[in-house]
Amino acid sequence: MMFSTFESLAGGIALALLSSALFVAFFRLARGPSLPDRVVALDLISTISVAIIAVYTIITDTPVLLDVAIVLALIAFLGTVAFARYLEKGVS
Amino acid sequence: MFISNILLALTWAAISGEFTLHNVLLGFIVGLGILLMAQRVTGRSRYFTKVRQVIGFIGFYLWELIIANLRVAYEVMTPGYRIRPGVIAIPLDASTDMEIAMLANLITLTPGTLSLDVSTDRQVLYIHALYVDDIEAVRRNIKEGMERRVLEVLR
Amino acid sequence: MKEVITSLLMLGGAAFAFLAAVGILRLPDLFSRMQAATKCSAFGVTCVMLAVSVHFAELGIVTRAIMTIIFVFLTAPVAAHMIGRAAYFIGVPLWEHTVTDELKGRYDMRTHALNASDHPPSPNATIKP
Repeated sequence: MMFSTFESLAGGIALALLSSALFVAFFRLARGPSLPDRVVALDLISTISVAIIAVYTIITDTPVLLDVAIVLALIAFLGTVAFARYLEKGVS
Repeated sequence: MFISNILLALTWAAISGEFTLHNVLLGFIVGLGILLMAQRVTGRSRYFTKVRQVIGFIGFYLWELIIANLRVAYEVMTPGYRIRPGVIAIPLDASTDMEIAMLANLITLTPGTLSLDVSTDRQVLYIHALYVDDIEAVRRNIKEGMERRVLEVLR
Repeated sequence: MKEVITSLLMLGGAAFAFLAAVGILRLPDLFSRMQAATKCSAFGVTCVMLAVSVHFAELGIVTRAIMTIIFVFLTAPVAAHMIGRAAYFIGVPLWEHTVTDELKGRYDMRTHALNASDHPPSPNATIKP
């Protein structure tokens, strides 16, 4: 019983760390200075979101949410690749 | 050889009647042991050296990954910059797409190096390295550490 | 015991994700930032997913967690490579203390080809037939 609260305590700390990570990455996203910097920050934000969902899965004991994490990881990769192509080739 | 190992694992799980991850993994290991003992009958196979190489490779990879993270963590946490970044060309021995892709992925995930691009004729890989004290040393490290292992596993 | 391992993995993963974010804010140029972002975030997600598989310990969930890990390991370097290449191509500046740049001037700006023909090939390269 004591350990289950211990685990949720660790989960809370992990969530706090991850949220502050989101905040810091968002700072880079807002500041730039170049477009690729923003893309890297966006990529990092989506990866952190995957981690947040996974931690939330553990805390609330709902493994269904894991599917959301997988789909988010997939879509984030697609978005990054699309951004990179856009940067390199232009809009055409 | 790999297929028969999987078959043995599945048989183990089916006969012991418990289809859980632990049991299938246990069956795989037992099957590996059985195949190893049956080598006298079936003749020597490249499978076991391959398995050893792959396990060694995964261990090496994880180790490098942990080192990479601790190094970046140290760099980030301490004030001031100690990094000496640079872009370096690495001539490639790897020739097929698979080998180059594996090597590039591995380089990206190891300490202080990030693969940027492969030349159009696929002879040279360009990497960004964080700690360039000696260009030749970095180049030699990549070639003798990473590339040798990748080619050992894939060829 | 299981709870302790789960908690440690979760905290480690969160710490590495946080380090990636701090690294992306602190390091001086895009390429160094990408180094921190790629490695630390991949490692962070790996730790958290391992925590998930230790916590639930069911075949379906462990498979999904491991699939996610493999997926992240395959895609993070590819994404970094594509952004790095695009950034170099559009001329994002390197840090002023960068030691060497052997990629300079090798891109053909019109065809996007990367020419390395004057670079000495590997001493023991195999010549393809």
